[in-house]
Amino acid sequence: MHFIEVEHLNKSFTVRKKREKGHFLREKTVIHALQDVSFSIDKGELVGYIGPNGAGKSTSVKILSGILTPDSGCANVGGFTPWKDRKNHVQHIGVVFGQRMQLWWDVPILDSYQLLRDIYKVERNAFEKRLEELADALDLTSLLHTPLRLMSLGQRMRAELCGSLLHSPKLLFLDEPTIGLDAVSKLKLREFLQKENKEKGTTILLTTHDMEDIAALCSRVMVLGHGKKLYDGHLPELLARYDTQRTINVRYDADPDFSALPDSCSLQKDGDNYIITYAPETIPTAEMLALLQKAGSMQEMTAQSQNIDHLIARMYKEMDL
Amino acid sequence: MNTVKLYLHSMKMLLKSQLQYPWSFCLQTIAQIVMEGGEMMAVLLILNRFQALNQWTGGDLLFFFGIMSITFYLTECFGRGITGNFAALIRSGNLDTFFLRPRGIMTQVLCHAIDPRRIGCIAVGAAALALGCRESGVIWTVPKIFLFTEAVFFGMLLILGLFLIEAVFAVHSVKSIELVNAVTYGGRSACQYPIDIYPGPLRVLFGTLAPFALVLHVPATVILDKPLMGMDGAIAFLCPMAGLMFFIIMYFVFQKAMKYYRSTGS
Repeated sequence: MHFIEVEHLNKSFTVRKKREKGHFLREKTVIHALQDVSFSIDKGELVGYIGPNGAGKSTSVKILSGILTPDSGCANVGGFTPWKDRKNHVQHIGVVFGQRMQLWWDVPILDSYQLLRDIYKVERNAFEKRLEELADALDLTSLLHTPLRLMSLGQRMRAELCGSLLHSPKLLFLDEPTIGLDAVSKLKLREFLQKENKEKGTTILLTTHDMEDIAALCSRVMVLGHGKKLYDGHLPELLARYDTQRTINVRYDADPDFSALPDSCSLQKDGDNYIITYAPETIPTAEMLALLQKAGSMQEMTAQSQNIDHLIARMYKEMDL
Repeated sequence: MNTVKLYLHSMKMLLKSQLQYPWSFCLQTIAQIVMEGGEMMAVLLILNRFQALNQWTGGDLLFFFGIMSITFYLTECFGRGITGNFAALIRSGNLDTFFLRPRGIMTQVLCHAIDPRRIGCIAVGAAALALGCRESGVIWTVPKIFLFTEAVFFGMLLILGLFLIEAVFAVHSVKSIELVNAVTYGGRSACQYPIDIYPGPLRVLFGTLAPFALVLHVPATVILDKPLMGMDGAIAFLCPMAGLMFFIIMYFVFQKAMKYYRSTGS
């Protein structure tokens, strides 16, 4: 028995569009947000959930967290069906939306936390202990008496995260938690999530467009596109499929002679720099380097692996997303 | 019990957050006193011109005005979560947040806002009521106090129920604010005068569909020792129940609307 089991989930929305002519009649379009999505997640896993905008990520998170009811399919999260047993289910989950604050805006965050304690019926001693622990890990101790509205985005995000973990949920949904954060805040947040996952065994489902978050945190990724699950497995394996090209930057003393280069590689000139892109499958790297050395006397050379965002963009393109 | 505790805790926190802006709070409270005071002046001016309206003396009219103001603004003060802008709650996504917490949706809607500035309006209403009682020579007895409390309480439930109509419409993405305002704010304006001064259709509206007349006017008539269209005064204790019934019906309609919300998405 897995911790989260999702089978054949379907969800569609009816969108009414205004016709160009006429004011009352509207055209109905059905959008299939999720089509036959199934997966399972074990306790303590940290899973990345990626896909382009409109792929159905948020819809699945909303269904799994109990906000929406699917058209068909079943799900079991820690023994509960989210949409049928909402109150019992949400007692054990935490949700953080990067673009929406759930704490109260004008009061010190400590007041918000105390209200959350009453909402989740957390026992007083357990609450104090947990708050101390979280405030310490998230660097919030000195901010507890500051209202949310006076905080920076990074501080707010940490405060939100603290609020969503006060009742020690077994499962944490994160929807773009690092959006808009600076590098330092991002790294801190990642470090915290890793620790929370390892030490408390909290299962985390992370939705994001930030591939670095995924690469740094997640052992497993699921790719969603047009409401369908397209990939489920390790990130390196996924990347390897699309990571078929290498780029070399070279600079020469004098104008080089590239006539020996095969047609399969592309050549770009950027000032004094030449950017050569090739597929190691057709020309092995050793051969390529030999060819470049023959072209002239080399001044400088750097080799780059492809940027992860480019890879994902290529993957989306090939999957026709 | 736990829900009441949560509500009180929320109230405390919301009051604290309102008082983060003390000047704004004071000025708005004063503005509300001026606004509601103006409405009361209108009643006083009518009294100045006419000695009586139908069977009602000036003191009676002030009493009607007072009981309506107190009821309506107590509702707005403590039930702001419902009487506020429900459509905005959906648009901002806050309603989604309520689904993520292990409490009833209605409880959380009620707990998410109060409007303590209405204290000014309530004070004006109380002043009108006191003045009305003096003018009309109302003698308070235990049953009358009970009846008054009952009327105000069920009146609040009625008003909450009426505002829930707007919430239900908002879930179905229908803009209804003007329509519903006709019975909520319109009801307040109309029913701060005794119902029998209005023509038939309005009496039907406020006697059955939005039963302010049953909930507030019948008890008020009895408290003022006026004849109740030949009926026994004891019936006045039953009439305000209409407010409770209205609220219960709207509560279930609201729960149904929440089911619809969860199945259509946002």
